[in-house]
Amino acid sequence: MELALDSVLDLSGLIQQLQSENGAMRLFLLLFPFFILVELPLILVVLLGVLRWKLRELTLPPKHSLYRPRVSCVITCYSEGLDVQRTLLSLCEQTYPGEIELIPVVDGAAVNQRTLEAVRAFHLDPELYPRRRLRPIAKWKRGGRVSSLNAGLSMSSGTIIMALDGDTSFDNTMVSAVVRHFEDPNVPAVAGCLRVRNTWTSFATTIQAIEYLLSIQMAKIGLSEWNVVNNVSGAFGAFRRSILEQIGGWDTHSAEDLDLTLRIKSYFGRHRRMRIPFEPRAIGHTDAPSTILGLLQQRLRWDGDLLFLYARKHSGSISPELMGWPNFIMTVVGGLFVQVILPFIIVGYTAVSMIVLPWPTLVALAVLVYTLYFLVLLLQFLLMLLLVSERPGQDVRLLPVLPLFPLAMFLIRCWSAVAILNELLRRGHEESGMAPWWVLKSATRF
Amino acid sequence: MQSLKVPRIVWVSLSPAQPTGPKAAAAAYEPIGSLSALLQGPRADVVVLDGSSELLTPALLQLRRHPDYGLSLIFFSGSADRLAEALADGPLPAESSAVIAAWRHWQERLGLFNRGRLPERFDHSLLCWLWLRPAGLIQPVCDPSNSNFYHYPLVEALAGEGSINVNSWLQQKRQENLLEAGDLLDRLRHCTACDSNRLNYVDVCPECHGLDIVRQPSLHCFVCGHVAPQQDFLRGDGLICPNCLSHMRHIGSDYDRPLENYRCRSCNAFFEDAEVDVCCIECGQRQSPDELRVREIRPFRLSETGQLSCRQGLGEDSVASQYFRQLKLMAQPGFLAALDWQIAITRRYGKPRGTSVCSVLGMRFDNLKLVLNELGEPGTIAMLDSLMERLQQVIRETDRCMRGREDVLWILLPETPTAGLHILQERLLTGLESIESSGGQKLQLRIVGCGLPDQLEKNEDAPLLLARLMGELF
Ligand SMILES: [Zn+2]
Ligand SMILES: [Zn+2]
Ligand SMILES: [Zn+2]
Repeated sequence: MELALDSVLDLSGLIQQLQSENGAMRLFLLLFPFFILVELPLILVVLLGVLRWKLRELTLPPKHSLYRPRVSCVITCYSEGLDVQRTLLSLCEQTYPGEIELIPVVDGAAVNQRTLEAVRAFHLDPELYPRRRLRPIAKWKRGGRVSSLNAGLSMSSGTIIMALDGDTSFDNTMVSAVVRHFEDPNVPAVAGCLRVRNTWTSFATTIQAIEYLLSIQMAKIGLSEWNVVNNVSGAFGAFRRSILEQIGGWDTHSAEDLDLTLRIKSYFGRHRRMRIPFEPRAIGHTDAPSTILGLLQQRLRWDGDLLFLYARKHSGSISPELMGWPNFIMTVVGGLFVQVILPFIIVGYTAVSMIVLPWPTLVALAVLVYTLYFLVLLLQFLLMLLLVSERPGQDVRLLPVLPLFPLAMFLIRCWSAVAILNELLRRGHEESGMAPWWVLKSATRF
Repeated sequence: MQSLKVPRIVWVSLSPAQPTGPKAAAAAYEPIGSLSALLQGPRADVVVLDGSSELLTPALLQLRRHPDYGLSLIFFSGSADRLAEALADGPLPAESSAVIAAWRHWQERLGLFNRGRLPERFDHSLLCWLWLRPAGLIQPVCDPSNSNFYHYPLVEALAGEGSINVNSWLQQKRQENLLEAGDLLDRLRHCTACDSNRLNYVDVCPECHGLDIVRQPSLHCFVCGHVAPQQDFLRGDGLICPNCLSHMRHIGSDYDRPLENYRCRSCNAFFEDAEVDVCCIECGQRQSPDELRVREIRPFRLSETGQLSCRQGLGEDSVASQYFRQLKLMAQPGFLAALDWQIAITRRYGKPRGTSVCSVLGMRFDNLKLVLNELGEPGTIAMLDSLMERLQQVIRETDRCMRGREDVLWILLPETPTAGLHILQERLLTGLESIESSGGQKLQLRIVGCGLPDQLEKNEDAPLLLARLMGELF
């Protein structure tokens, strides 16, 4: 390390090294070890998966099925207000020919009167939507998302249970696209695809729109092809009722989506043919935090929860025996390493470079790193437009913002390190705004 | 004191199978076994009917039609339906003293009615019935078997067989200000062509008024604006616009549901709300709901004027008004419109101040009652006959007459300056003077005239002008 840094310090030496045999390779290895070792393979896995998926989609004839189980949509509502009606309407509008039960659960209805009124004011025209039922639940005391989901689950009668957010609305093919997968008995859950609804509200939302497209829509298609989906989103997931009942519904008070995914995955070892598909054609549109502060707070919560789950709660169940080897590797590499450890490497590396490198070298390095990231990003983005996006005309408008994206991601990763530190030092997840203290107190301890 | 005569109150048992007889509390009443026994016997003052409501209603109808009992106090013991309530005087008061008091009151008012004359004509009977009961109402009763749904059983019963048009009779009495309407009970709609209220309301296509319309959920493409039934868009699992082939994925951003949700199978029109047509079952006439004739159902009671008339004498129509009928009279609205028109014309095209182009004349008999009393009817009528002859000579073809309130005759004289008006007044007065009178009393005529526009006051219109002139006549 000492040697490497010395050689970087000397710019003429650097140029010499570049000019020497394998010089570029050496510098590359020097500068981007984490990138090469972890990120590039991940991106490759994803891109190969996407290609495979696209080929399969293009060649397979459309499947016609008479499988039409009743679907219950548990919609957790809090302070969305009138936006809930948009969610409900988008579910009524589903082209799915089977029955859909809409169960909006208003948490803390006593304080969220506007949301409750919006739910009550929603009129479901039985002539227009003959196969849709509305069964709202008002929970007067605030109990958090998990208790809302479990309340909805106990009131529901469908074979397929969807966990949805009150501020997310859905494309009208969502339910039929999801339900198709459950015809296969080896599918316990299906992950849906989230997009950002308020793309052009602010710079923060635009950046998140790109992030969602690449890290959710595209990455999950790729991972799903190899059956290594890392998370069924809490804002948007579908589950077979039997598996929910088997594992006892939702548990814990934070990151319940990842928790549930990990608990379902812990069956994979025994049931080798089990898989959690990701359905890119099941699309939900959600509101992303529109301020930088809101975004940072959201990530503080997410990343804190992440560590809590990986390191504390599921440290026992993350094993190749329980999960199977591909999932184990994916969880360790894609989850634990990229999301928990990589932020520290990035922050540490940046800090050290800033201290030991002279400014010109630093700038040259930064430009180099940036260029590489941007090229890879551009490639990903173009492939996304070509192969994945169902709204390419809309998404191509993000292209001018793309050059800023690597910088924003760099900052977000640095922030992740802060969040994880915060979790390590202060158990930050217990300050989570999603659940009040009395729920935390009664939650099962580990 | 002979006025404290004890009334004969009879207790009529309507169901012979179970003769209930007077109850202990009502021992003061004279029992009668049946209605026919009552009608054959001498006239009773107050009748109490005892029996189930099925028997009560026909008995009440029979009694109200009967000349002896049309106006009588009739109570019932037990329950009664709406029809019986409209005909009777209510449930029997608990104390017989209350019944006797009610009868005394009734007797007293009967003596006051129409200066002591008993009603002979039907309309007087009805006014008398109301007069005898200060809180009395002519109640409408709903009857599904009746083609009008509502009827006034009391009016029908008192009118007897000589059937009158009850509704128009009530409206006439209301216009004469003898009756006034009570609270609104219901509102019916009738066919404009045949006045039937057997109407069928059907929703129809607003374009062609065809009956064959269906609710058809439709979609509206945001890209090209295409609106079509929902099934035209369905392709596989998704929605694709058949016109521009764009994907319609999300309601609110790619498409929405237009308000036009109905389709006409005859003309294929798309529309938001069906129109409602009304089809008359009786005559087949088609009309829109707001064209229908509206009929309000209200009870009627004696107005203040009606009460005054009942006390001071209903009489026939006054002699003067009978005579005015010989002239070609206009109805008030027409006359007022004509007068307003003349006012407008003279105001706009009027000659310089001091000359009039049109005149209004009002006249009334000052002492008709006095003359009638002194000369008797034949003498008065002879006088009036010759006056009318004179009047008809004076009035030109183009003049217009109207009978106003209080037997005032109004004449509108176009193209008559103030001078002409004075000549006319002179002629009428000298004509009256020349009428032979056998007695000392002479018929006195009060006349008031006004030349338009110079004697018109500022902002005066036809009703204001007549009101001002009316004041000068009394
Ligand atoms: Zn008709
Ligand atoms: Zn039509
Ligand atoms: Zn279109």
